[in-house]
Amino acid sequence: MIELRDVTKTYSTTAGPHVVLDRLSFLFSDRVSVGILGRNGAGKSTLLRILGGAELPDAGRVLRSGRVSWPIGFAGGFNGSLTGEENCRFVARIYGAEIDVVVEYAQAFADIGNYFHMPVRTYSSGMRARLAFGLSMAIDFDTYLVDEVTAVGDKLFQDKCKREFADRRERSSVIIVSHQIATIRDYCDIFCVLRDGRFHVFEQIKEAERAYKAA
Amino acid sequence: MTLVDGAAAQLRVVHALALRETKTRFGTHRLGYLWALLEPAFWIGTFYALYALAGRHTPGGMDLVPFLAVGIVSYELFSKTADRGSAAIGANKALLFYPHVHTIDLIAARTVLEAATYVMVFVVIVGAHALAVQELVVDSLLRTLWGMALASLLGATLGLVLCSLTVVSPTVERMKGPLMRPLFWISGLFFTAESLPSRARDVLLWNPVMHCVEIVRDGWFPQYTARHASASYVLAWIVALAFAGLTLERAVRRKVEVT
Repeated sequence: MIELRDVTKTYSTTAGPHVVLDRLSFLFSDRVSVGILGRNGAGKSTLLRILGGAELPDAGRVLRSGRVSWPIGFAGGFNGSLTGEENCRFVARIYGAEIDVVVEYAQAFADIGNYFHMPVRTYSSGMRARLAFGLSMAIDFDTYLVDEVTAVGDKLFQDKCKREFADRRERSSVIIVSHQIATIRDYCDIFCVLRDGRFHVFEQIKEAERAYKAA
Repeated sequence: MTLVDGAAAQLRVVHALALRETKTRFGTHRLGYLWALLEPAFWIGTFYALYALAGRHTPGGMDLVPFLAVGIVSYELFSKTADRGSAAIGANKALLFYPHVHTIDLIAARTVLEAATYVMVFVVIVGAHALAVQELVVDSLLRTLWGMALASLLGATLGLVLCSLTVVSPTVERMKGPLMRPLFWISGLFFTAESLPSRARDVLLWNPVMHCVEIVRDGWFPQYTARHASASYVLAWIVALAFAGLTLERAVRRKVEVT
């Protein structure tokens, strides 16, 4: 469970302060997956970092219970000069998980062949995303924060991600941010459109789609 | 979360970071460790040659190699820790992605790694010298390590202050080198506090690094007693820097952009 209470985040730009999140309050319940739609620059990634705790809001509170993942996406979290395996060992260590189990699982899930033993800087963005996804799946989280990542990879990989989340529905939930509806459609129970720093909440994807396109 | 759980999690993170730093600092092959040894060895070699050429002797008849090793290794331990600590955020932005990794952990991990490295370097250099002259006399190992611990903590807390300042102004990063360089010459690496005229000594002893070097020297050499070195003076610096560093870290925490 994650609860946002009056969370505000502002970035200063040359044109003056830019409000990304404006007194945002929302309850992300256990086992309810939420899809968040927003245009580029609407503050989706910022929101995920705040949910995960990597960044602090300017005002307001974030309450978490259970294990929350880091924002799983293309960038961040990996050291380019270390291999995929070494990065996995590191993350397993900081989360206090069984190292060998995590490495084995991540390797099998990412399915990037010998690149697993190559420095991450040699990876394509798709490969990084595969590794990030596999690694996060190897550690049991109650809430997964996902940044577009399921949109990468071929059909096969996307299906694998969907199956994996479907299997976990009973014990974990997922919060996905995306700028396209197709990405979140199959994963989520409720949908939010993030616009001008506020949430517009919809139970049905159709309504969300209409509201998102109208903007 | 209890205090014990918290401490365990913190240790886990620092441990994982230290292992990772070992790989990124020294490269992935084992030969990388040699580089850590090479830099101080190079300095010691250079000054050994200079002393020999100039016909200069160490004060109080201390052996030249351990004399230089004490000064140079203690100083490098301090300055490298400060240097690596101050660059901790820049090099590890990606890691702040994980919510339980904080700036403090990054600096702690780097401090541990530098301390382990330079203690090893010291052991290798004085060990090699002891083998060569077939003699090893250590006055107080505990006091030697105490001096090094002070140098390490002084470097770590200075690193914390610089690291936080760098977040606000990148200029700090550029000023650091020129500001630190004179310390190499005035921290008692090539002279002792005892051998200085009292007026010069009074001025130079404001520098806490000199106290660290003196304490290590006192601990190592039976014939040397550092009557002017004060551990509490260094500790006062450490407490003040830690206070400033932790306050600054709090103040700039929201400004660190995680990418």
